[in-house]
Amino acid sequence: MQLSLQQLIPQPLREQVIGRASGVWQQELVLNSGEYVFVKAPSGTGKTTLIHMLCGIREDYDGAIKWDKVLMKGAKASEIASLRTADVSVIFQDMRLFPDLTAWENLEIKRGLTNTVSEQCVTEWMGALGMADKRHSMARTLSYGEQQRIVIIRALLQPFKWLLMDEPFSHLDQANINKAAKLIGDVVRQNNAGMILADLDDNSFFPYTQTILL
Amino acid sequence: MSGKPGKALLRQLLLRGQGKGRLWAALVALFIGNTLLLLSVLIWWNFNDLLYGKGKEEGVGNTYLIIGKKVTNNNMGLRGATLFTQEDIDSVTMAPQVQAVGAITSNHFPVYAMMGGSMGFSTDLPLESVPDSFLDSKPSDWNWQPGSKDLPVIMSSQFLDLYNYVFAPSQGLPQLSESSVKSLALNVKAGPADMAETFTAHVVGFSDRIGSVMVPQSFIDYGNKKYGNTGNNTLPSQLILKTKDPSDIKFTSFIERKQYSTNSQNLRWSKIRAIVEVVAGATGILAVLLMGIGTLVFVLFIELTIAKAQQSLILLKEIGYSPVYLIGFMVRRFVPMVTIVVLLSGSMAAVVQVWAADKAKVQGLTLHAFPGYPVWTALAVSAGILLLLVVRSISRAIRMR
Repeated sequence: MQLSLQQLIPQPLREQVIGRASGVWQQELVLNSGEYVFVKAPSGTGKTTLIHMLCGIREDYDGAIKWDKVLMKGAKASEIASLRTADVSVIFQDMRLFPDLTAWENLEIKRGLTNTVSEQCVTEWMGALGMADKRHSMARTLSYGEQQRIVIIRALLQPFKWLLMDEPFSHLDQANINKAAKLIGDVVRQNNAGMILADLDDNSFFPYTQTILL
Repeated sequence: MSGKPGKALLRQLLLRGQGKGRLWAALVALFIGNTLLLLSVLIWWNFNDLLYGKGKEEGVGNTYLIIGKKVTNNNMGLRGATLFTQEDIDSVTMAPQVQAVGAITSNHFPVYAMMGGSMGFSTDLPLESVPDSFLDSKPSDWNWQPGSKDLPVIMSSQFLDLYNYVFAPSQGLPQLSESSVKSLALNVKAGPADMAETFTAHVVGFSDRIGSVMVPQSFIDYGNKKYGNTGNNTLPSQLILKTKDPSDIKFTSFIERKQYSTNSQNLRWSKIRAIVEVVAGATGILAVLLMGIGTLVFVLFIELTIAKAQQSLILLKEIGYSPVYLIGFMVRRFVPMVTIVVLLSGSMAAVVQVWAADKAKVQGLTLHAFPGYPVWTALAVSAGILLLLVVRSISRAIRMR
């Protein structure tokens, strides 16, 4: 699945992005399937805005975003739902968990949507990220680090061709980053998918095929 | 291992804020509104059936009037001036509120009645006939064929009352019950003395509707043709009308304009009926209002439930749940509730109808034992509108979030 960005300008950041060198804003950019893309984004340059635009949460921008032939702005709700279920998965920086569901229920409500990953697999992944004992904890009672690990697992519970990550390890220590990166890398490879990781600083979490300055 | 299945989690996220108390209140409001709507249709349908029914029994609302041309100083000497011509009959048939017109035909030949024994008397006997459909009730032996010597007679109840309460006491004669009168036989001579025929007449019934002595139409036609001087062209001096609403101003002004005489006493029931119609109509308007309020309460309840689940709905869509799936989930939650309420309302209407039919029987009125198609049509229409509004409100509320 190919991602095309054409002359994107986020309306709330228009004054900041115009006239500034960027590999994304106001550019013609094509990302091919299977690419590992690191978007280096200093604070305030629109990193989260870009991720939200790519997955269709925001439409307040000029230009065009196309996933293959699906033009995101003005796409039907069913097209966007299909994209989010089968093609593009997201690790949100701001978690977006259901606070009144347990850690397991937050995963189950995503897993049940496509039913492509077994419960046993989810249990193993929770164990791999040190979350086995938090299974029945309410999401609102989890620490940011714990929430972030649940969000990472949730993003892997569907088939995808692209994995979008917005500062996915911002609340994790190095040991947990290593575990989470390994899990993500394994699942992305299983899906023959590409990834776009947006973060503040350079990193070597994954073998990126290109780095773009936002 | 898995904890709650997906649907249970969706219920927890989307329906948590609905509140059982509010849900029951909304369902009760819907049930009351829907039931009242059906009951108002039931009332209207039953009254309509009673007033205008064309079943085995005549609708109690149908009013029969006997009209004649007023005898005035100007026409009292003119032969045939008070007879109804075919043109007159046609204009009456076309008059407002008139449903049917029957000619009251009288005998234009001599008829003489005699009774022997201790009660012996003899008298000239004026006879009349009306088409069978205008009789209060048609006795089983109500027929006469040329050659038959038995002549069935229907007598006005007023005649018997006059005899029993006025004539018999004043003359020291015994009073007579209806059955005893029916057992008596009268010898009737019909026709001029040189060619008179003798018949044995039996009273086979009494009429509250027509105040004279009636014989089958075939007998009058036979006599008028054979002995009368008018042959087949016997014009009626009175007409009997079956009217829908004789209190209608258009009808009464027609009667006045034509200078016909009639019995205004019959108009009393029409006024009662008009009041009943107004009451039934007002009940219907009230029921529609209550149904509207009940529906509004339920739809607002659904929208409130969805508004309370707004954050969950947004997040569910962000992780891949399609609006169509979520709409389907909510519809499957609320539509069975609406269906059950509608079915309960229909059952209530059926129970009320069974009860009302039972009560009406005591009053001598016949109602259908089960609600008829107008009630079920109202049920189907109200259910259709209700389901449409519920699905529409769910769809709009989820799509806009």
